[in-house]
Amino acid sequence: MSKSGAIMVLGGGVAGVQTALDLADLGFYVYLVEKKASIGGVMAQLDKTFPTNDCSL
Amino acid sequence: MTQEGFNPRILGFFCNWCCYAAADSAGVSRYQYPPNVRVIRVMCTGRIDTRFILEAFKCGADGVFTGG
Amino acid sequence: MEDLEGKPGQFTATVHQEPRYIDEDKCTSCGTCTMYCPKPVADFYNERLDVTRAPHIDYTQAIPASYYIDAKECLRVNFETCNLCAQTCTAKAIDFSQKPAKHKLDVGAVVMAPGFGRIDQEVLEKFGYGKYPNVVTSLEFERLTCASGPTEGHVVRFSDEKAPGKIAFLQCVGSRDESCGNGFCSSVCCMYAVKEASVAKEHEPDLDIALFFMDVRTQGKGFDDARKRAEEKYGLRVIRARVPRIAQVDGRLGLSWTTDDGESHSELFDMVVLSVGLCAPEDARDIAGLAGFELNHYGFCKTSSADPLATTRDGILVAGAFQGPKDVPESVTQASGAAAAASEMLADGRNTRTVTETFPDEDTELEAEEPRIGVFVCHCGVNIAGVVDVKAVRDYAATLPGVVLYENTLYSCSQDALTTLAEKIAKNRLNRVVIAACSPRTHEPLFQATLRSVGLNPALIEMANIRDQCSWVHSQEPEAATEKAKDLVRMAAAKAALLQPLEQPTVDVTPKALVIGGGAAGMTAALSIADQGYETVLVERSKELGGNLKRVRFLLDGADPGKVLKGLVKRVKKNPRIEVRLKASVESISGYVGNFTTTIAVGKKTELVNHGVVVIATGGQEYRLDSYLYGESKRVLTQLELEERLARGKTGLRNVRNVVMIQCVGSRGEDLNYCSRLCCTQAVKNALRIKELRPETDVYVLYRDMRTYGFAEDAYREARKQGVIFLRYDPERRPEVLKVGRGIKVRVFDRLLGEDIDIPANIVALSVGVAPGENDELSKIVKASLTSDGFFLEAHAKLRPVETAVDGVYLCGLAHGPKALDESVAQAKAAAGKAAVPLAKGKVPVAPLVSHVDKDKCIGCGICEKLCPFNAINMVKEGKRKKAETLTASCKCCGICASHCPVLAISMGGFTDEIIMAQIHAFGGDGCGQ
Repeated sequence: MSKSGAIMVLGGGVAGVQTALDLADLGFYVYLVEKKASIGGVMAQLDKTFPTNDCSL
Repeated sequence: MTQEGFNPRILGFFCNWCCYAAADSAGVSRYQYPPNVRVIRVMCTGRIDTRFILEAFKCGADGVFTGG
Repeated sequence: MEDLEGKPGQFTATVHQEPRYIDEDKCTSCGTCTMYCPKPVADFYNERLDVTRAPHIDYTQAIPASYYIDAKECLRVNFETCNLCAQTCTAKAIDFSQKPAKHKLDVGAVVMAPGFGRIDQEVLEKFGYGKYPNVVTSLEFERLTCASGPTEGHVVRFSDEKAPGKIAFLQCVGSRDESCGNGFCSSVCCMYAVKEASVAKEHEPDLDIALFFMDVRTQGKGFDDARKRAEEKYGLRVIRARVPRIAQVDGRLGLSWTTDDGESHSELFDMVVLSVGLCAPEDARDIAGLAGFELNHYGFCKTSSADPLATTRDGILVAGAFQGPKDVPESVTQASGAAAAASEMLADGRNTRTVTETFPDEDTELEAEEPRIGVFVCHCGVNIAGVVDVKAVRDYAATLPGVVLYENTLYSCSQDALTTLAEKIAKNRLNRVVIAACSPRTHEPLFQATLRSVGLNPALIEMANIRDQCSWVHSQEPEAATEKAKDLVRMAAAKAALLQPLEQPTVDVTPKALVIGGGAAGMTAALSIADQGYETVLVERSKELGGNLKRVRFLLDGADPGKVLKGLVKRVKKNPRIEVRLKASVESISGYVGNFTTTIAVGKKTELVNHGVVVIATGGQEYRLDSYLYGESKRVLTQLELEERLARGKTGLRNVRNVVMIQCVGSRGEDLNYCSRLCCTQAVKNALRIKELRPETDVYVLYRDMRTYGFAEDAYREARKQGVIFLRYDPERRPEVLKVGRGIKVRVFDRLLGEDIDIPANIVALSVGVAPGENDELSKIVKASLTSDGFFLEAHAKLRPVETAVDGVYLCGLAHGPKALDESVAQAKAAAGKAAVPLAKGKVPVAPLVSHVDKDKCIGCGICEKLCPFNAINMVKEGKRKKAETLTASCKCCGICASHCPVLAISMGGFTDEIIMAQIHAFGGDGCGQ
């Protein structure tokens, strides 16, 4: 049997979301699994980011 | 011209990536500001030609706002 | 996740999904349910500083952009009462019949990215958290400084809601603290504390802020510089001390501490922010148990420095803070790296499970007809209609030229409204559409897809933003808002009438990569791209592969760098998809993403290579100096030279009684303006090695801040236990290396004694840091810029850490900035993952809004070529004259060329002169511009 073209990413924070986006771009089907009701993780709670103070969202 | 009752018509050129985005997020946060600006979205303020600004004044703009 | 069975390539994962009780497709995010729900619930998004209701959305930009019901709190779910939300929801989205679901997913690989956990409440309580209301966590403070947070960005103390005058930040709460089991450094708190303090000062300039650091660990790229600027700009007080506890004194908070000169201090503050660290996720043990991989002794995922993205089980990868505490750019880097690693494993399965959307052919005849504009004015529930008189706007639209259909829609973005829109376009033979609703930035793609679904070019739509930039911001002035909405619709219709179909060009990609640099990063990148299935040419300047890794003798985690290196070289040489060019350099590169042509000089010959992408992995070099008696005395070595000597074992240390290491030689402002990131760990590693080989040797480390971030903190602590002596010096009083007869000594100011002391030294090891390679020339060749420090600049410091501003050019390793081996490897994989995207797609799309040069009008002046920030315009000889030509694949649609063309020969799709002029005339109103 050949290898599956799908991948599961556990966790929808910035790392999980970036992995999922890149995998989709690379031609794979992605299941992004997150415990909470929305993705974004802790980064979404941050007002700004160091050092440029860009908005996190 | 007196300041009182002056209700300027302002034409804004907003960069899609920053100023236009900022105006959207002002909306999301429900910030209130005077309703005097009319917006033309551009992909970058680099697109703005001097002629656009002059034309805006010719068309009755009291001010031109560029945000980028 | 409940279960994971199978083997790499063919796993079956069982996933349990809780119901949202709100149908995502129907929910319009209007917020009515939250308004009517009687059950108050702590708002976790705002760190429980605010209250929401059982049905809510975490924050306005949340994805999915639909509300959900907190099942633990809902009265209907738990007690079968209430049901108010379901009755008030106009979209009928609330569905209490939803049940938990189980999904069985067939997947080839799993990427673990569960993030990090929270420090125990108990640890915080030691600092009075929970007891004193004005002791807050850094995440709570983050919400306080946020304009959309519970206090709208006002920093207040919780005891009396008043603005504090003095704030103290305590670092390392729950980090670098064995008493709570977290011996590691959390690697992010120093940065966020500086950020939060700066933001607070921006809100309230009169604040007095003191930050209590053990060491200031801002070792990231550009971070030291940013911290220094923040300290100066905002007058932040930096105090190097750990505050053991906090007492409440007359409603204020009393802090006492001892500095390293032995003096005791105490001071009162109004508010204390605890900079809490990152620990392992609470469910790490469950996940690891279910998936069958190991954790390290802190409960984070166990990995090795040679392969930081692999768990101990094949087929399961890891990315982000679960691999070890880390910040956003490093998490993003690891994420892209993990994607690349999965892509290597499953290269055969690529494109077997993906779905492609198809669209009908465009009706070019209809598009060419006179404009038949349909205007749809959205209510967005009450969001627009509650302020703007949407019926009046609709009726006004009817009076505008070219408008043949004018309607209101309740929610134009809802699935049923989109279906209706498609039907109406077809029925009324509309060829231009104006949607007066929200922002094109978020919603235009949705409507463009609808246009495509009925055979219209997606460029034929224009949106008037009467919500985000009208009803929401002028809610107190409904009449003025209605007038503005009319104006915006008039301007949009004027633009719509002139819109032309735009091509959706794509460019074919040469499925080959060029990797420049044959060190650890370059070899890792080349191997990853090759394993993902694409040909790679690896160019190395010297006569052999290996780069700086050749000189590394030990790694902190015990792995043998020699073996790692040999393994990499062997795999590169064996890989049929990798061609290696030694003693080779890149002479020139032309072209753009997908189609580069590069001239490589190999020895005396040159060779042409066609490729689709470039990875820059040119490395860095050990900083060279002529101070501290380096070069004059044989006893003065660099850390790498010392490492070499230690590799000889005990003989390398014969008669060596004293070793003095000096940190930040060159780095952090002495000559190089940045922190070299890896020297502190390197020094600790070598110090431990000395103690292992010859325990009686005294080792001194003279440092400014020990930056053994992450798990390297364990080694630092171990070195202290083993008797290595760490002495801190100020940059104003740097240590001196002096000759004494035939020997040498180091003079340093002892802070505790308050005077200079002399330490005789058999060996002085200088931590010289990492200097950039000779990047200038390559930077010009690839047109990718460098930072002021001479490293390659990434496209976005946070979100695009391995891309450059030039499409198709990626970077990794020391070429990007100083970093440790595991970080270089992760980054190299990330660059390989990103580089493989265009290769995997086979085509790169070109933005349809690109500039277009009318060659008949062009006079060949070359202004546009000079001004284009993206090198997207070339002057091409046509006959006798040169003419400008846009490289559509590189164009970013900024329009600078068009606005500066003296003969108006350049137009921008969708933003032509004609269109913008029409908008300006529509702004002016009747008779304008005629």
